[in-house]
Amino acid sequence: MGHEEEEAIRIAHLKFIGKVLSVFTHELNNHLAIIKESAGLIEDTLRLQKSSGKYDIEESLKIIRSIENQIGKTAWICKKLNGFGHRMDRALSTFNVNESLEELLVLLNRVANQKKVSFEKDFQEDIPPVCSDPAGLQLIVFCSIDRLLKSLDKDSSLIFKTKYSGDSIRISIIPKGDFIESGEREICPEDISQYVIEQLDGSIIKNAEDKGITITLPVKTAIGTTT
Amino acid sequence: MKKTKVLVVDDEVEFASTLAERLELRGYDAKAVYCAEDTFAIVKSDPPDIILLDLKMPGMSGIEILMTVRTFAPDLYVILLTGHMDIEKEIEGIELDNFDYIMKPVDIKELLTKIEQARK
Repeated sequence: MGHEEEEAIRIAHLKFIGKVLSVFTHELNNHLAIIKESAGLIEDTLRLQKSSGKYDIEESLKIIRSIENQIGKTAWICKKLNGFGHRMDRALSTFNVNESLEELLVLLNRVANQKKVSFEKDFQEDIPPVCSDPAGLQLIVFCSIDRLLKSLDKDSSLIFKTKYSGDSIRISIIPKGDFIESGEREICPEDISQYVIEQLDGSIIKNAEDKGITITLPVKTAIGTTT
Repeated sequence: MKKTKVLVVDDEVEFASTLAERLELRGYDAKAVYCAEDTFAIVKSDPPDIILLDLKMPGMSGIEILMTVRTFAPDLYVILLTGHMDIEKEIEGIELDNFDYIMKPVDIKELLTKIEQARK
């Protein structure tokens, strides 16, 4: 691979990280807004109860529980971002494809939600871990999601399937719904995914019929060794 | 005295309902809705004095909702709720009267000031 291709991948990766961060911070800000309103409501309620001399502790406890619940949701999405960040620690690592996809789908769910497109998972359980580049795989999947979201109409869905077949894991991204001409620019040029998948010794096939994408990743237990 | 009617529009159900409840406690006639369709229905059937409208809504952005609402309620005062620092860019090129915005998380005192300014 030449310098130009490497530079194109680097730029696509930076755009990808930028997108994930902007979506994440928007989500986090919304969580904080909910927590702030709930805390404000406790204050309002207590002030009101103080002035009336009638205390209803159950009402305040209910709001406190909802704050705890919201903090739990916020911590969960923070963990996903933390995991996402650590995917880039090493060029190659042993990871579970389902987990890396799940992480990406959680972080990009708001983008799909804005478009009124739902993500559906159909992951094969018990797939073996692979030794590959998880950040590279997430970039390829992100590029496909970005492209499909920009061309799908409202009230559509994207189905993510994983299947293990002995020496490889197949990831299928299947769109269900109507396609539109959006005119929105894609974040990654189409050939980026091709460059990256070649580095991972895998392949990408675009299905002309349903416009879906199938990514095949070899199952390597150690560098250069397939099962 | 007639209460000021405020409609809070945000797909974050807990945020919208809690903010509406806090406005109710301060003497406003506040309601919360969570999608564009319900917003249009309420504005047509029981028009509020002010809408607090989230900028990022699923399927239809706050700006699109605002422009649609203005076709049948041209003078309705709208305060956009946004977590986006760059709101000026979002509304670039759009001619807007009776309009203001506030950042999320909301400072309730700042919001009340904006609502009172809107009433004048």
